[in-house]
Amino acid sequence: MIYELYLSAIRSLLSNKTRTFLTMLGIIIGVFAVITLIGVGEGIQNYVTKQFSSLGSNLLFVSPGKRNLRGDPGANFSSNKLDDKHVKLIETYSSDFVTGITPYIEIGKTLSYKNKNYYTVVNAFDEDGFSTYNLTLDSGRFFTRADITSNSRVVVLGSNILNELFSNQDPVGKNIKIGDKTFLIIGVAAEKGGSIDNRAYIPYTTAKSIFNIKNYSSIVMKALDSENVDSAMKRIEIALYRDLDKDEFTVLSQKDLLNSFSSILSTVTLGIGAIAAISLLVGGIGIMNIMLVTVTERTREIGLRKAVGATPNNIAIQFLIEATALSVLGGSIGIGLGILVAFLIRTYANFDATVPLWSVLLAFLFSACVGILFGTYPALKAAKKDPIEALRYE
Amino acid sequence: MAVEPILSLKNINKSYQIGGQKIEALKNVSIDIHPGDFISIVGKSGSGKSTLMHIIGLLDTPTSGQVILNGKDVSKYPEEHLAKVRNSEIGFVFQAFNLLSRATTLENVMLPLQYSNTPKKNWERKAMEMLKLVDLQERVNNKSNELSGGQRQRVAIARALVNDPSIILADEPTGNLDSKTGSEIIKKFIELNKLGKTIILVTHDNDLAKIADKVFVIKDGEFVK
Ligand SMILES: Nc1ncnc2c1ncn2[C@@H]1O[C@H](COP(=O)(O)OP(=O)(O)OP(=O)(O)O)[C@@H](O)[C@H]1O
Ligand SMILES: [Mg+2]
Repeated sequence: MIYELYLSAIRSLLSNKTRTFLTMLGIIIGVFAVITLIGVGEGIQNYVTKQFSSLGSNLLFVSPGKRNLRGDPGANFSSNKLDDKHVKLIETYSSDFVTGITPYIEIGKTLSYKNKNYYTVVNAFDEDGFSTYNLTLDSGRFFTRADITSNSRVVVLGSNILNELFSNQDPVGKNIKIGDKTFLIIGVAAEKGGSIDNRAYIPYTTAKSIFNIKNYSSIVMKALDSENVDSAMKRIEIALYRDLDKDEFTVLSQKDLLNSFSSILSTVTLGIGAIAAISLLVGGIGIMNIMLVTVTERTREIGLRKAVGATPNNIAIQFLIEATALSVLGGSIGIGLGILVAFLIRTYANFDATVPLWSVLLAFLFSACVGILFGTYPALKAAKKDPIEALRYE
Repeated sequence: MAVEPILSLKNINKSYQIGGQKIEALKNVSIDIHPGDFISIVGKSGSGKSTLMHIIGLLDTPTSGQVILNGKDVSKYPEEHLAKVRNSEIGFVFQAFNLLSRATTLENVMLPLQYSNTPKKNWERKAMEMLKLVDLQERVNNKSNELSGGQRQRVAIARALVNDPSIILADEPTGNLDSKTGSEIIKKFIELNKLGKTIILVTHDNDLAKIADKVFVIKDGEFVK
């Protein structure tokens, strides 16, 4: 009998397609928004995790100012004092815990070759920076100590820049402009996946002299042992206290960054959840409203069904199925649209938006629950109708 | 030895309370219905015919008195239970046909089977048999809003018969039909009665009432004779 009821529910939904569609709209939009946003969030999460893990988990950073990853962003605005003195301090007092200590400068610059331009992030560090960031070569060479000491105008390009400016031809030996300064291309880094492939690398000494930079964006190093990251961080702090106050610098590990990112993402997820709840609530009220109208319109049908033997339960189930079909259908359309948009983002925006199975199941379950929750009152109303009154209803 | 009645009403009273006023729709009505009877209940508008029919059809419960179906007093049964009894024992034919307009002829006839214990595989066969009985085999897949009034009423008769009920109740079955179509429907009832069906015809039309074997005249909620 459930099958017959399901059939008659579908039929009555089809008999007024416009109304059915408009009623489902709330659920469609809500579920669609949630599925898409979860897909995008998942994509961001994957992207960031991949990026971090390609750098290695024992990377440590010293950044200027007091950084509290979870709290008060205003605390960041103290002036940047990081310079060579601090690199020396870490080298002198922490070398048994860390290696590959390099000053690190990050500047946004336009690269140009012939008439093509490409805006990207230029990283400046010393010859150790390549191993600290796990970079390898596709062609040419990295810069050396000699390049550092002589402030050479040399650059190593990330693999994506080849596509953008050199049509994938090997550019080693050619000249490229960074801002308005000319640099010799000495190497191309192997592809790592992610935005790191868009970058260009120059000696930090060159960056300081040519682009007139006084302080470092950060000092980067690797803990010798990934088990000992915490003690390495302690050691670096102690070394830096010789010159800096405790609110003039922060030592961060890769893990801290990843954690802070995850906590931001989970806040966003919570926000999405709240929007979803509201839209499902609105959608549910829409369904309840239309179901009440339907019950009134079909008073005669209810009377007839009761006359030929339908029990109040039979009637209640019939209208509950109809409400649930409405919400589940709306939810399914929303899920379908969400998956479609995630697919479009994946294909056209080159961004790995994936809709996880759990979000599909959750959305489906939620829309079914909305139907049952908001369909119950109209269904009970239908079940309570007196058959005589119902049959007499004009 | 007298045959046991299928249905007896014993001293039925039905009153409605409107405002402070008490309307007595039925006063001390008793009737025995035996298998194979063709009974008509005739009376003016407002005399209590429909009220009586609703009580016979177990759609309504009396204020006082007993409704005895196959030897059991069903007047105090709960609603769920009455629905089951209606499903198997009573077939209704209404003045306004009351078909599901979006459903086909066949689906309309199968409706009471949905609420019965009949296995699903037999539904279509049973419904087809009933449609043959009312000469509608050709209109099986039409929607009911594609049928004429007479055809609709025949679908309603087939629907009333499909669960093989003890009693067929018809309330003004020809009220919405022209006289020619109306008399065809009446002929159908006579035919069904010859096949052994028990029929109760409710009408305000004295001439129509006379085709029944037994005529009960109701006036102001009471039988007169
Ligand atoms: N639900 C109700 N509430 C109050 N009074 C009612 C109700 N139903 C019926 N009545 C009254 O009971 C009396 C009998 O009504 P009933 O519908 O049985 O008449 P009827 O013989 O079927 O009339 P008609 O030929 O017009 O259908 C009428 O006076 C009517 O007003
Ligand atoms: Mg009446």
